[in-house]
Amino acid sequence: MTTITISYPDKARRTAITQEPVWVRRTLISLALIFLALFLFVPLISVFYEALKKGVDVYFAAITEPDARAAIRLTLIAAAIAVPLNLIFGVAAAWAIAKFEFRGKNILTTLIDLPFSVSPIIAGLIYVLVFGLQGWLGPWLAEHDIKIIFAVPGIVLATVFVTVPFIARELIPLMQAQGTEEEEAAVILGASGWQTFWRITLPNIKWGLLYGVILCNARAMGEFGAVSVVSGHIRGQTNTLPLHVEILYNEYNYAAAFAVASLLALLALITLAIKTFVESKVTQQKTKE
Amino acid sequence: MSIEIRHLSKQFGTFAALRDVNLEIQSGELLALLGPSGSGKTTLLRVIAGLETADSGQVLFNNEDTTRQSIRDRQVGFVFQHYALFRNMTIFENVAFGLRVRPKDCRLKDAEIRERVTNLLQLVQLDWLADRYPHQLSGGQRQRIALARALAVEPKVLLLDEPFGALDAKVRKELRIWLRRLHDDMHITSVFVTHDQEEALEVSDRVVVMNEGRIEQIGTPDAVYEQPANPFVYEFLGHVNLFHGRIHRGRAIISDIEIEAPEHAEAENLAAIAYVRPHDIEIDRVTNGESALAAHIVHIVSIGPIVRLELAHDDSSNKNLVQVEISKDRFRELQLTKGDRVYIKPRRLELFPSHASANSIH
Repeated sequence: MTTITISYPDKARRTAITQEPVWVRRTLISLALIFLALFLFVPLISVFYEALKKGVDVYFAAITEPDARAAIRLTLIAAAIAVPLNLIFGVAAAWAIAKFEFRGKNILTTLIDLPFSVSPIIAGLIYVLVFGLQGWLGPWLAEHDIKIIFAVPGIVLATVFVTVPFIARELIPLMQAQGTEEEEAAVILGASGWQTFWRITLPNIKWGLLYGVILCNARAMGEFGAVSVVSGHIRGQTNTLPLHVEILYNEYNYAAAFAVASLLALLALITLAIKTFVESKVTQQKTKE
Repeated sequence: MSIEIRHLSKQFGTFAALRDVNLEIQSGELLALLGPSGSGKTTLLRVIAGLETADSGQVLFNNEDTTRQSIRDRQVGFVFQHYALFRNMTIFENVAFGLRVRPKDCRLKDAEIRERVTNLLQLVQLDWLADRYPHQLSGGQRQRIALARALAVEPKVLLLDEPFGALDAKVRKELRIWLRRLHDDMHITSVFVTHDQEEALEVSDRVVVMNEGRIEQIGTPDAVYEQPANPFVYEFLGHVNLFHGRIHRGRAIISDIEIEAPEHAEAENLAAIAYVRPHDIEIDRVTNGESALAAHIVHIVSIGPIVRLELAHDDSSNKNLVQVEISKDRFRELQLTKGDRVYIKPRRLELFPSHASANSIH
């Protein structure tokens, strides 16, 4: 859960009463910095260091060899399907939860959180149980020559599952805070449902939505557990980037493993940069009115 | 456009927001729906607009049933208490919105839209804010823009939900007068909801007093103020003093005083409550032979040309304070100070047999 909780710190009023003594502040700040350095900066730097240790040529060879390229392609495909699907689902679910009253609303809200509360391995296993050779639909699928488990569809399914909450969770509080008055005003002025959505609702949530998409995308590309269960680890076919890193590492091919890992790390850094930018926009949108 | 409301009822869970409401609104009228919170006035307004659907009953526009009409086809303008301006659009685009979302075949040309919006912004005297965004405007400005936006589509009915509720006292007063003038110029059938009795009495042609989902009284501001239909209306409209007494054969007896009450000629020693407005009480330092209530002054507040006195009965069994309003001239003439003993007598009072006040707001 904590991964997507965003805090919008109010500009805390610093009064003498809330002001801690100097030594307390310094200790707290240094503790935080030391922690960050040990657990974040050092590993991050070491990823790039190990990746480039044997030279730039080895690095580029590692990320351009066919299996790596296949893994990159598969990761991109999975994200390209999962993110739009969750975009539509997230907006629809958030819209329904924030703007309407209906039976089972609480259940829907809880279900959206399910992928957060359940271990990714379980998520993968669910699909194996349903679509696997020994699963419920397995014989039927085998008969019709449809492969889901140990194939691309399974990877996409698992990715969609683990990324379900990101966009909906981001939008629900935003839409709830904005209420329905603007939509009501638009409808009374003669706007149709689509016009209301495109001209009023969407512009009001666009930064929150983008923020959700970025987080969703980062998770879709980085997911390991669920995808690992359904993938089957077939090199060049069902390996995503994280799985490819694992295989290389297990083969003691450290330089290549770190090179590929550096791609994911780079993705994380880019995500972080965009996220910071979007976050400031979200805060702006919230403070308006 | 005239509006007729027939047997409207609406339930929210176990809460009855409207109970068999009937109301006729004349074309070109400015009507106030007045009542305490939870009285159903906003629900009634939203049902008229089509934002809520009633459980039963009908709303007729020009004798045509609107029950099956969609909100878009009703051609109403709606002004929200919290403005509901589109935050992602400039003021200009806010006002132009209703014109821009029309189907292509009946949409105005861009130049015409521009002209109409500019005119409307001039009408609300805010044309210089056209390029700003809603969050850059003050509350009073936003509400005027909300009104301009509602008027842009030339609605046949204008509905306003506590339009001045979120504004401070001074802006509120200004906007109130301004709305009245605007209505006098445009003569568009308008209904506005308020819980502020002063606002309702000052602005509207007729006032509908609502309580607990029912209409208590409909009438001109003077009528509802001067001849309240029941204790609820009396207590809700303005300050009021309560006296317990009896009615007996056309006379009201309140402790030591007796007052003619010809409309209760047939009453036989009936317990009653008398309502008296603070400005309908005579006050003097001496009794000129007539019966009067003895009291002493506990508090004096001077508000502009009026002085409000709070009096305690000399009879210590009656703990109710009496509020009296007199002119500053009269106050100076009597040279009243705190603690002075005075004699009071109601000039006009409204009597209700006690059982009738059982469901009043006390």
